[in-house]
Amino acid sequence: MADSIPIQLKKGVLELCVLALLSRGDGYAYDIASQLAEGIEMGEGTIYPLMRRLQDEGLVATYLSESPSGPPRKYYRLTETGRQSLINQKSDWTNFSRAVNAILGDG
Amino acid sequence: MKRDAFLAALRTHLRGVPAKVADEIVADYASHFDEGRAAGRSEEDIAAGLGEPSRLARELRAQAGLKRWDQERSVSAAAAAILAILSLGAIDVLILFPVLLVVISVMFAAACVAAAFVVAGIVFLLVSPFHGIVSGGFFKGVLGGIGFFAGGLSLGALVSLCGIGLTNLLIRYGRFHVRLMQPATA
Repeated sequence: MADSIPIQLKKGVLELCVLALLSRGDGYAYDIASQLAEGIEMGEGTIYPLMRRLQDEGLVATYLSESPSGPPRKYYRLTETGRQSLINQKSDWTNFSRAVNAILGDG
Repeated sequence: MKRDAFLAALRTHLRGVPAKVADEIVADYASHFDEGRAAGRSEEDIAAGLGEPSRLARELRAQAGLKRWDQERSVSAAAAAILAILSLGAIDVLILFPVLLVVISVMFAAACVAAAFVVAGIVFLLVSPFHGIVSGGFFKGVLGGIGFFAGGLSLGALVSLCGIGLTNLLIRYGRFHVRLMQPATA
């Protein structure tokens, strides 16, 4: 993604992206961070404040699981509230991006 | 920056955050370094990918402050939450500060008046019926005392409600800005 896309714009969809990744399967922060860093060029460090907020808001829950190497990993899973929030945010995003694309003329 | 320097800087900038929460946060970033090392990255590369520890700590500190205000309605929790929001630069301090100063002064004055009314009410209630300060005697004195006392309490309650409402308003505004406007480390 180009550098010209404002950081604020990315930040706004970060939560949606994390919820979407977790809806496909539980994940640990490093893995989520690297996928986002690669996909939408987000700073990896921002994932941790976000995960804490999602946890505080009850959208995700954590559990510890053995890792093949080293100490147990903290895994995040989507809660029922999180799943519901993903559905809402996803439809908001779809409607919004469809409207923007229509205006841009290549939707 | 190396792993230890990053974690130490993060820890330093997390001052004010409850120790248990700070420990969890530092542990999260420590395991990020471990995962990165296991994936064959250098400590410098991982630190660069994470971004500035001070900036991350600012966001985490604000979050912890807001969470405390959600759980605890106290003057110190309100002050901590407002300071945290201010430190994010979500609200322009130069605009807000004079306004905040006036509002806080007015509220402080109202709180003092409320306290004075309550004290005056009690004194009045205890003294006036027996010393005939008020012409009209016993009942007028008692009623006057009760009146002062109740008036003081209501004013006090009103001031607290205003304080809570105002803090919530500020925080809602700040939160809204933090969500979308806060610069991330990209």
